[in-house]
Amino acid sequence: MNDMIIVLRSLRVRLLASSVTVAMVAIAVALLLVLMSLREAASQAFRRGTGNIHLLVSADASPLVGVLNGLFYANAPANPIAWGKYEEIKNSFPWQWAIPTQLGDSFRGSPVMATTPEFLSNFEPVSGQPFQYASGKSFAEDFQVVAGSQAASEHGLSVGQKIVFSHGTGGSREGGHQHADHPYEVVGILKPTGSAHDRALFTNLQSTWIIHAEDRRENAARAEHEAEAEEDHAGHDHAHEHEHVEAADLTDADKLMTGILLRLPTRPGSDASASIAAQFDRLRRDMAITVAQPAQQIGRLMAIVGDIDWLFLAMAVVVLVSSAISIMLAMVASMELRRRQVAVLRVLGASAWRVFALAITESTLIGLIGAILGAFLAIGGSAIASTILAQRIGITVAGTIDPRSAALVMAGAVVLAALAGIIPAIKSYRTPVARHLRPIA
Amino acid sequence: MKVASSAQTSDTLGIDISGLHFAYRRGFQLSIPYFHVASGEHVLLAGSSGSGKSTLLHLIAGIDDASAGEIRIRGTNILGLHGAQRDTFRGKNIGMIFQTFNLLQGFTALENVMMALMLAGYSSSQQRSRAESALSKLAIADPHSPIEMLSVGQQQRVAVARAVAGEPCVVLADEPTASLDPANARVAIELIKEAARAAGAALIVTSHDPSLREAFTRIVEVSQFAPTEAVR
Repeated sequence: MNDMIIVLRSLRVRLLASSVTVAMVAIAVALLLVLMSLREAASQAFRRGTGNIHLLVSADASPLVGVLNGLFYANAPANPIAWGKYEEIKNSFPWQWAIPTQLGDSFRGSPVMATTPEFLSNFEPVSGQPFQYASGKSFAEDFQVVAGSQAASEHGLSVGQKIVFSHGTGGSREGGHQHADHPYEVVGILKPTGSAHDRALFTNLQSTWIIHAEDRRENAARAEHEAEAEEDHAGHDHAHEHEHVEAADLTDADKLMTGILLRLPTRPGSDASASIAAQFDRLRRDMAITVAQPAQQIGRLMAIVGDIDWLFLAMAVVVLVSSAISIMLAMVASMELRRRQVAVLRVLGASAWRVFALAITESTLIGLIGAILGAFLAIGGSAIASTILAQRIGITVAGTIDPRSAALVMAGAVVLAALAGIIPAIKSYRTPVARHLRPIA
Repeated sequence: MKVASSAQTSDTLGIDISGLHFAYRRGFQLSIPYFHVASGEHVLLAGSSGSGKSTLLHLIAGIDDASAGEIRIRGTNILGLHGAQRDTFRGKNIGMIFQTFNLLQGFTALENVMMALMLAGYSSSQQRSRAESALSKLAIADPHSPIEMLSVGQQQRVAVARAVAGEPCVVLADEPTASLDPANARVAIELIKEAARAAGAALIVTSHDPSLREAFTRIVEVSQFAPTEAVR
């Protein structure tokens, strides 16, 4: 027999009330931990993906939109950049690399990025961690495609498979115009990078240009036929002929892109360059393009989002405090029964401080059990939440919980629970012993 | 105080009360100029309800405070002890039995007894062996069953076992038979007397039941101690 057994039995006697209060603490702790882990993971997920690029050129309305579209596949950029502009920018400075990208097509909802093989070899989605292949290799010829890890697993892609892209992105999986004439062969599957790029598929620019050139020419021809048909009611049979385009047929007007990823030369081992600011300012003067420093834009985004998730954190803290209050209420509500127990313990030789300590121990124990259950709940909850986030928003949020902040939250819950025990403990301490030993009238 | 004055005053192992004065909030008073119970002696405190029997027990146990006087148990004035000291002294030296037993729900019979031994300062191993022995002496068939599962008679025995397991020098029983029929009341009182005798403890039993008188050789009317009229 020891004091802890007395406390445990006291909890067991009031099993329902004890369980409810433990559950409240557990939910509050889990909520706080999940929010904290998602907050951290979401900012991490956004910081991953901009990788080792210094500047991003787009024709989007703002730098932030350019970054979200170009590197996080939020939407297909609406405005193209012409080939001439790419050449001009590329030749304006001795970049370490300048990688053109074009977004607009999709495969069952997963974005397709048309780019050059340098994107997969030189661009690193996380600095120092280049793309790696789970199987296969990079695209080398037209109509070959490399799938990001998540895209591959979501659509069950494997090397050698033929797939057809559709025009446009967005939620609808089969929506948009299908490029059925030009199946692509899957030649590589990437390993997970923990960035938005895991959701995408990568192919070369020329294939995309050919498809869109054919589309444009077919549309032009159809429009011409319809105009002729209206004039000529005799009804000549104008069979719709398929327009076939070869790489050599492509004009500069066909060679459109939506983004240019730029990296300045750096010293080995360094990710920064002293010229970034100067080049950023220089490119910014060109009104035809939008230039962004992706890391900076993401920092700005996190600052905006940060205000909102502080609100969530504050709510979770309120839930935690209210769970502590519920511990106090449950203990005070059972005070009549408790006082009888206290009186008996006092008669048997327990001091007033000892029964004070028993009440504090009881509330602390509720906090401790709740905190531990909450941590387990949070681990499960984070996994579910990260799955949902990955599906809905497409950012890969690893639901890991920082052990240090978890320990802090759990300790906070235990301390609050201990404080919640103070009023019941004072009531225990002050229990008039003789009065509570009498038979209940 | 003819009964009290006939007691042996040289015995320091028993209970010595002198100059005790207690005032109720309602205005009643309890005054005991002198009262002695020898070690191992059994005393019945008789008197109508409200006469102050229970108050006297509470004062002896140190769970109520007198306005004046001394209560010496084994030579120590319990009213001179404060806080945890008094609680510890009570745990070690005084066993109490109540009308409604006041056993703790949610604990087994064994645990109820062990708890008293723990608070009296016994080590874990001593707690178990002493509790088991006390319960077996009182014929508790299943010491591991939860207290609320036992019959009233068995609960009474557990309450007695709890009071005497730590071998206190004083056992105080407050109306222990009030909720029992006369036959069971006699059995219970013999049980308590036998347990106190085995522990070598002084026993003070309060009761308003005249049928218990034949079980005691020393009977003290509480009204003998004190004027029961109000001092207004």
